[in-house]
Amino acid sequence: MQLKSFANISLSLAVATSALTGVNAAETSPTIKVPDTWQFDAGLLIYAEADDQVQAIEGALSAKKNLDDERSIALKVVIDSLTGASPNGAVGQNQVQTFTRPSGNGSYTVTAGDTPLDDTFKDTRVALSAQYNQQLSRLWQYSGGGNLSKEYDYLSLAINSALARDFNNRNTTASLGFSYAFDIYEPEGGIPLAKASVSDAINRGGSDDSKQTLDVLAGITQVINRQTLMQFNYAHSKVSGYQTDPFKIVSIIDNNGWAQDYIYESRPDDRTKQSLFWRTKYMRQPSNQVLDVSYRYFWDDWGMTAHNIDTRWRFQLQDRHFIEPHLRYYNQQAVDFYRVYLNDGEVRAQHVTADYRLGEMQTYTFGLKYGFPIADNEFSIRLEYYLTRVTGDNSLAKGAGLSGIDLYPDKSAFMLQSFYRF
Amino acid sequence: MKLTVLMILILGLSGCTSLGVKPWQRDLLAQPVMQLAENPIENGFDDHTYFSKEGASGGGSYAGGGCGCN
Amino acid sequence: MKNIFKVVGLSLALFLSLFLPLTAQAEELTGTDAVAFSLPGENKQTITLNDYRGKVVLVDFWASWCTPCIRSFPWMNKMLADYGDKGLEVIAINMDQEKILADKFLQRYPNKLTIAFDPEGKVAEQYNLLGLPTSYLVDRNGKIVYRHLGFRLRDADDYEGKIKQILVQ
Repeated sequence: MQLKSFANISLSLAVATSALTGVNAAETSPTIKVPDTWQFDAGLLIYAEADDQVQAIEGALSAKKNLDDERSIALKVVIDSLTGASPNGAVGQNQVQTFTRPSGNGSYTVTAGDTPLDDTFKDTRVALSAQYNQQLSRLWQYSGGGNLSKEYDYLSLAINSALARDFNNRNTTASLGFSYAFDIYEPEGGIPLAKASVSDAINRGGSDDSKQTLDVLAGITQVINRQTLMQFNYAHSKVSGYQTDPFKIVSIIDNNGWAQDYIYESRPDDRTKQSLFWRTKYMRQPSNQVLDVSYRYFWDDWGMTAHNIDTRWRFQLQDRHFIEPHLRYYNQQAVDFYRVYLNDGEVRAQHVTADYRLGEMQTYTFGLKYGFPIADNEFSIRLEYYLTRVTGDNSLAKGAGLSGIDLYPDKSAFMLQSFYRF
Repeated sequence: MKLTVLMILILGLSGCTSLGVKPWQRDLLAQPVMQLAENPIENGFDDHTYFSKEGASGGGSYAGGGCGCN
Repeated sequence: MKNIFKVVGLSLALFLSLFLPLTAQAEELTGTDAVAFSLPGENKQTITLNDYRGKVVLVDFWASWCTPCIRSFPWMNKMLADYGDKGLEVIAINMDQEKILADKFLQRYPNKLTIAFDPEGKVAEQYNLLGLPTSYLVDRNGKIVYRHLGFRLRDADDYEGKIKQILVQ
């Protein structure tokens, strides 16, 4: 399964701001840690979808150190492991379906009425990253770094670089960052030929393919008043190369709703993504509660638009305990070439995907985080429920083959995370 | 059209010069809970989950705010 | 790729617009008379700058939430210990909005500095403070001879040199 790599610009300047100028303090009694030793952050994520779908476990460890008054480095290692099944893009049928595994070795059957799921995805990924930060002068900050991510069939290499400058008595910070990533995909069984039938004798092209991503992120952070901080970002991303999911297929359905064939999906080689992001952090007085609200509007040249709102509210409790509810709402419109299935005999467009992740959907996240000190260090645990509602034209469930079939199955997942800083 | 947006943005940014606080009024902004990247590992987990399961990606960044010291 | 260049170009234009001098910069005070002040201190005392005429005074502005300020305390304490008998005085003006945080800090980091409290920032305003910590070196005639923005360990020796210089004038 392709785990998308993403720019590290987003976190690069974080280390700059917090390591060099922030205080490792709790609300009422500052615990001043000696800033020149290593500071560690450990985290664990357990992700589990309902109905035997994807289960993942992810562990992360990061270490930060100030080299001197101006410079710091941060190192991070992440290991994650995925098992379970994922929708393969085909629609359910009122009969049993059989699919060949993407590797070509063996096949699996799907009961009538069920959404076809491929359980081939058992993979472990290791990612390493290093980030360097330097305060160039009183008002200028630099951050640069690289990361590497490797799993059985996927390799990603990326570098990033960003500059930030303060204005208006340091109430305004303008930042500009770049990131470049090079990814190579070597799926088991080779790269499928675009829109080739799964039953064609020759339906594989080369053994691997690659893509490049260039990201630019321009941001302004503004102190509004003693209690309020706001941020505005514009992000622009250009991806070129292989972006198709080699394991996803599209059903070819006849007039009676029966699948006649399955073909491999095909996505364009170029994609330009843009987003506008606004975030506000507000600390209420005298309670010291913090409200964090952000909104992002995303659009790309594949025809997708998406909105999301994310809110967290932190309530400080006694003795450095805290509780933080979390609510997130995400809404996306489908890409132009999304089709839940293709009709037998129709003229096929150049690109097609039945991957619900590029379709029309809304997701809801409800979470609660609880934190308390352990041995004077911060520990927190977070439980979240992540619901994905896939939507679309239900009238497409036509004929004997598809009557009663849910073409847009929803997805539910629980996430349990824990964090420890020491 | 683009030029108009640009002018509005520049004037808007100039307006930013009137917002803000004195350097000694950053006590709340200096607190760890008010930092933009208060828990980078948590941000990493969330970003990874949502990038894998949804079509959109990116947007956030974390420079600025804080105590403004040194 | 052309779009990327447009984006970068636009970002740079907006970025440079922030350099437009629309706010007056705080004027540099070095060479002027140190503004007189009278602030509450610890133990119901009042700290008046003019009382220290004839001594070299290090007027330092700090706050409990400022990490570099915390690092500067042991250094200021050492300066006072080494040069106090030669006429150095250190007045550390606290800027905390909540006094209890300053009190907790002073309990945690005992010191022999003269502490004054300016929570409303009236004196800080008069000294055109750009950031914390900031310290002004005032000579025996009450004139500001040096301003030190921020605190960096590698600048400490340099600063000590300046203090020694002013003490023997």
